[in-house]
Amino acid sequence: MVAKTALLKWLVALALFLAFAFFFPRMLLQIWGPAHPWTSYFYLYGFGFFYTGSGVLLALTSGACHLSRPRDRFWLKVVVSGYFYFATLHALWIYLALSIPYKGDM
Amino acid sequence: MEFGIELDRGAIIAISIVAGLYIVVITTFGGYFARFNKNINDFFYSGNRFSWWLPAASMVATGIGSYSYLKYSEQGYNTGMSSTMTYLNDWFLAPFFIFGWLPIIYYASIKSVPEYFERRFNSTARYISLTIILAYMFFYIGYNFYTIGVALEGMFQVPQLYSVPLLAIFLGAYVTFGGQTAVIFTDLFQGFMLYIAGFLSIFAGIYALGGFDEWWSFLPITHRLPFSHLNENPYFNSAGLFWGEALAGSIAFTFMNQGFLMRYLTIKSVHDGRKAAFFNVMVTLPMSAIIVGAIGWIGKSLVIKQAVTGGALAGYDFVQIDNTFHTFVIVCWTTVKQNPWIFGFVVAALMAALMSTIDTLINACAAIGIYDLYKPLINDNASDEHYLKAARWASVITTLIGLLLVIWFNTQKGSLMSIHYKGIMIIIPAIVTTIFMGAFWKRFNATAACTSMIAGSIITVFSVWNPKIIAPLSWFLSGPVNGEYIYFRALFGMIITAIIGFTVTMLTSSRRDKNVTGLTISTLNEAMRDYKGGDTPNHKIGSKISGLVPTIDNSIDEGWIHLSKQSMEELAAHDGDIIYISDSRWWLGGLRSYHVKVKTKASLANSEIEMSSATYDDAYFLDHHTVTAEKII
Repeated sequence: MVAKTALLKWLVALALFLAFAFFFPRMLLQIWGPAHPWTSYFYLYGFGFFYTGSGVLLALTSGACHLSRPRDRFWLKVVVSGYFYFATLHALWIYLALSIPYKGDM
Repeated sequence: MEFGIELDRGAIIAISIVAGLYIVVITTFGGYFARFNKNINDFFYSGNRFSWWLPAASMVATGIGSYSYLKYSEQGYNTGMSSTMTYLNDWFLAPFFIFGWLPIIYYASIKSVPEYFERRFNSTARYISLTIILAYMFFYIGYNFYTIGVALEGMFQVPQLYSVPLLAIFLGAYVTFGGQTAVIFTDLFQGFMLYIAGFLSIFAGIYALGGFDEWWSFLPITHRLPFSHLNENPYFNSAGLFWGEALAGSIAFTFMNQGFLMRYLTIKSVHDGRKAAFFNVMVTLPMSAIIVGAIGWIGKSLVIKQAVTGGALAGYDFVQIDNTFHTFVIVCWTTVKQNPWIFGFVVAALMAALMSTIDTLINACAAIGIYDLYKPLINDNASDEHYLKAARWASVITTLIGLLLVIWFNTQKGSLMSIHYKGIMIIIPAIVTTIFMGAFWKRFNATAACTSMIAGSIITVFSVWNPKIIAPLSWFLSGPVNGEYIYFRALFGMIITAIIGFTVTMLTSSRRDKNVTGLTISTLNEAMRDYKGGDTPNHKIGSKISGLVPTIDNSIDEGWIHLSKQSMEELAAHDGDIIYISDSRWWLGGLRSYHVKVKTKASLANSEIEMSSATYDDAYFLDHHTVTAEKII
């Protein structure tokens, strides 16, 4: 019974992910088109969120990351902050690339 | 091969002197560290003794190969700063590595991925994985030799037939005699070389352009962006790079690359290993992305500025890049104003890039050769001296195989980038998926592992001739739909392998008789206990104690130390805990250090540490130097 429930949970999670994987990029393409940097940005960090998130979830549920241990708490914060650090860095980069004028057309 | 630059006789001699001198210095430097190899554990893993910063800093040079400069400068020129994509997408993997794979290999004392497969599954799985991993490693060794050969051919018109074997002899020499410690220390030195030479060429380029503002202003907007078009270019697209490179490529590089794995295993603790991983992804990779790609970005800006201003920049030759493969050499040579001594230094950095990557790979292949082939199949019961000798022969054989592969690379067509990824994306999918499933799914069994590796590899190779079978997947994820699926092939292979692995596992009984304790993420607590010899792990954080004066007492067992009660309280340690003792000079990075177990001795002074002379010798301690103690677990 427990195994069946676990399997059902996995199947639901998989179905939700597949729906996300299909519709999310199409939504981005509809908003910005394939050449726009924000399309690639959200593609990367959208799917990347699942990638990192599933790793964090696995670490917590498997007991590999114990919140009662100070060092595990520290590294969990680092892992989550790292994702947002790179996301912020890339967002800032795109902003600067688009906002400073290009002289090559002169 | 179309040459990038033309050098006169004087320039060739000057460049050769600088580069030649560099190779001799580094070979001698590496040879010095042979004295720190007492046994094969020292030779390959440096006795798990180093502080995080030493292997982490040496990874700078390991991660940058000679091909990196050529490949990424070309990519930077063609598509701009999106050339950094492959270096800046590794963080997603962090939780799997930091909380999963690193503690697994560390606490279970895994020496290689094939050994993990044997312990996790069976010997069949071990040898299937061994075949795939060696293919991956040899591919990289051959590719590095090939690219440096091509670069030398382009600059000096020296045929690869002569230049590559000559380089191989020098490389083989210091890896063969120095081992992992030599690799780490030479890579540390070479990492500095790479950064100095890289920043020197970047500075020269920016200066030639008239400053940072000028460089940025003349760089087309498409070239300033950190990402390429989502799915247009089959050879370089954001969607493909995410699935093929950030997912499959990063797992291969972090989980399976024996060179990196061994680098992590030289580190004194899991906590320090995590620090090294953090530093690698947060600092080393972004810096490396700039170092290897910036010349391409500068080259593009330079060419545009020339077009806008109507000719060469004042004081410089006109830059013309007909063959983008030579972007790095052309831009560098022009912006340093054809100064052969400075350019010679940059060429030496190219050598450094080659040497630092290849030495790691050769040492890694030799480790696999000894631990996975020689010991289990040929001679399981020999002395350490014998294995050290065998390890050195394994290094020689590995170098020769890499050398032979250069012949094969010379028959390949296409750009460096395409040759690289076409090969890697076929080799890795099945094995990375199997490692992942093995580490993170306890029920995954040996039958499933062997079946999925073989069938996954065969179907991935089959897709090379029938790319149409990848099209639905690429369409589903909004990837390229133009018939070429270099990166999506990796995802395709991973999914096929995972489906086969899952199905076979569900259809066959899980191997309950097989003890997988410590080999999966869900059994790490038991792994820590086993690592400590059955005692409960102590997770309390204590302080480091420096300035301890060692005294010798040969009645203490080897591998044990005595500390005062107060020292134990400061360390937050209990009797039986594992303590790391090292020479108090931090800058040695743990070169003189050892892991021991601790016992309280109330009568001992707080500034004292007692151990036997055997422990003292194993730690390579020197008289008149104090010791630092730190609790590990």
